[in-house]
Amino acid sequence: MTRKFVIIVLGAALAVFAGLDFYRSRHLREPVVAGPGVARVKTLGDYFSKVKGTVNDCNVYILEGAQPGGAVLVLGGTHPEEPATRLVSWILAENGILEQGRLFVVCSANRSASTVTRPSGAYPDSFSIPTTWGGQTFRMGDRWSNPLDQWPDPEVYIHYPTGQNLAYMDGRNLNRTWPGRPGGTLTEKTTHAFMELIRTEKIDFVIDLHEAELQYPVISTIVAHPKGQDLAAMASMVLSGEEFKIGVESSPEALRGLSHREIGDHSDAFTLLFEAPEPFLDATRGRTDAKLLLEGKDDFVVRAGKRGLLFETIDKNGWPIDVRVGRHTSTILTVLDLWTLDHPDRGVILKNVPRYAEVIEKGTGAFLKDPASAESKTIHYE
Amino acid sequence: MSMPETAALVLGAMVAAYILAKILKVSTELSMLAAALVGAAVGGAGFPVRHIVEGAFTYLDICLIFITATLFMNLLKESGGVAFVIRRVLTRFHRRKALLFVMLALLLLIPGALTGAGSVTVLITGSLVATVLGYMNIPRARAAAIIFIIAGLSAAAPPVSLWAMLTAAGVNMPYVGFFLPLLVPCVLLALATIFILSRGAKPADLEAALRELPEAPPKMNWLKVAAPFALFFALILAGRMFPFGFPILGLPLMFAAAAVVTMLLSPVKIPFLDVAGRTVHQLLPLVGTLTCVGILVQIMTLTGARGLIAITVVTLPVTVVILTLFLTLPISEAVLMWGAAPVLGVPLVLLFNTINLNPIVALAGMSVIWPLGDAIPPTAIIGRLTVDTIGMKEPYGKFLKACLVPALLIILAGTLMVFFSKQLAFLTVL
Repeated sequence: MTRKFVIIVLGAALAVFAGLDFYRSRHLREPVVAGPGVARVKTLGDYFSKVKGTVNDCNVYILEGAQPGGAVLVLGGTHPEEPATRLVSWILAENGILEQGRLFVVCSANRSASTVTRPSGAYPDSFSIPTTWGGQTFRMGDRWSNPLDQWPDPEVYIHYPTGQNLAYMDGRNLNRTWPGRPGGTLTEKTTHAFMELIRTEKIDFVIDLHEAELQYPVISTIVAHPKGQDLAAMASMVLSGEEFKIGVESSPEALRGLSHREIGDHSDAFTLLFEAPEPFLDATRGRTDAKLLLEGKDDFVVRAGKRGLLFETIDKNGWPIDVRVGRHTSTILTVLDLWTLDHPDRGVILKNVPRYAEVIEKGTGAFLKDPASAESKTIHYE
Repeated sequence: MSMPETAALVLGAMVAAYILAKILKVSTELSMLAAALVGAAVGGAGFPVRHIVEGAFTYLDICLIFITATLFMNLLKESGGVAFVIRRVLTRFHRRKALLFVMLALLLLIPGALTGAGSVTVLITGSLVATVLGYMNIPRARAAAIIFIIAGLSAAAPPVSLWAMLTAAGVNMPYVGFFLPLLVPCVLLALATIFILSRGAKPADLEAALRELPEAPPKMNWLKVAAPFALFFALILAGRMFPFGFPILGLPLMFAAAAVVTMLLSPVKIPFLDVAGRTVHQLLPLVGTLTCVGILVQIMTLTGARGLIAITVVTLPVTVVILTLFLTLPISEAVLMWGAAPVLGVPLVLLFNTINLNPIVALAGMSVIWPLGDAIPPTAIIGRLTVDTIGMKEPYGKFLKACLVPALLIILAGTLMVFFSKQLAFLTVL
């Protein structure tokens, strides 16, 4: 009896301490100081009422230029475990100024997935980016929506509308549920809501930001729907010649549910999906912690590279977060420049966003705003 | 100390803690917990409460499936349904052995193929088939081996193969083209297994067998036995046929619904709380093992021990990697269960992809081999479940010995599939 009592007490203590930790990380408030370029902030639920008030009713920061033009949607946090994607969207929302057109910025495309970490993944619950004002802390997140928000999983996830069979947990993967379903799961409703945004706001193209493990063949590249192939190829040439090597790939028709395939197939817009290298995600990674997440240095991944198992190079310098953020900001700016050059009437001219070299030189934190010294009406929480 | 050295030290400490715990006669699940806690401490993570609890939840869904499926089967047994089916099957097929074996193999393949869990096969049809085999003069250990091996193959069989799905998801490969590469070996190997292990079987002495079997309640009939199964499969099929109109129920709720129907149709009054209590008691070691495996994997990942294992395996020469799949896959399954797919499967498939093997056929070949590890200690989850479910009293080693021949056949088939995956790529049409 005493033994049972001791076990119950120990179990309860574990549950309480871990529960508090989970609660804190799920509810960690992440401030965004809307920059001078932000004309207004809507939420995803404004485009599809069934998402309103849910965990995925994320903020949509709308930057507007004085001159009319096109419209572009940037998605950060499709997979929150790819932190450079969220940091880039933060930089856009807090710093970007538009001269022409409209830019829609989302920092937490799958907000639910940002509130959980992966069982058996040993992720840190959060990470901090150093700034001159003391640093900003972000939720770590996972690849899939939080089971607390969408559960149970089916035995096999069947993609709508194609009927393709996918792994059961991909029913909670925002980048496997496009174009979404109005009466579907939370994740399907979320992608449907984004499709409504794309149609309502007459979005010309979507930029979906990602990071990938180095053992994944689709890396350091732009994946483009056929409608965006020329733009992606041109951006790849310009960037590879001037800043860093980046490839271009065509969205495969056989792989369903991905933004780069379905948005182009189900709307007038198309998607360019950017992939930057993130050693933290590699299956052969060593110690799993925030240091690896931010510095991107790992001896085991380097060893895999020497064995020829990687699709991107890596050395002792790793792939630090500033390099990954800088790749994305430069790719966004280059794509927008090239688009505007080709479509002057639908142009989107974005200023005050740092390029690759500047992010590496000053660090990502230099472009994050201090909420303590900002006007309260400009602060929004993710 | 460099990161690889630290990871090696942590792994060594975990192995030592596990062995020490076993020497002190601590149970397997608590030995794994001890290894995890020692690993965390040596790795500098202290007592990581969040990671321990998060890891413990890794296999929550699988635990719920185990519990609800076992409850369903125990209720069916309590209602007299199991006795009824055994008596009828024996009466109808006791003279035609070959036909009976094919039918039994298919009966064993279906539940696991539909759910992706070999345990479901063991729990739903395992004990029924074992009883029939018993009356055909097949020794208990061989009957257990037939059920275990085919249950493993059923889990690897399409449409739901968790190893293939988890690995495919890990390399962002769509789970398409796997149907034939998984179906063909699983069906052929299942038939081979039952015919090999049933050698020497005799037609059962029907009258003696029926005398020994428990009587079924007079009001029991096929409809009452079939109705809960029909509901279960109808719910699964409804999810497949109307995926956009039918709610996602999840396997635990489907099993619970089948259990409710069993209760309602039972011709005898079932003491539900007794049966439920017995079920939980019966499954505690299994659930405990799954919980502790989750914690172990989480701590191995946290400290880099998991990465050390993965990088060591994938940096071996390719020929060595393929020729040692017969060891690495079952052992990784024995230690990590389905966790083996993301830990080992992902780097292996990436390795095979870089050397121009067909990743779908190669992964299918690996998926056939993986379930063999479910009989190997320390976890031996499905192996233990099988011998418990069919009530085998002999030593566990006798069961393992009975598994040897079909296991070697499966290993050979799976390895050849990896080797010749490019030539077998025509199978990926569905």
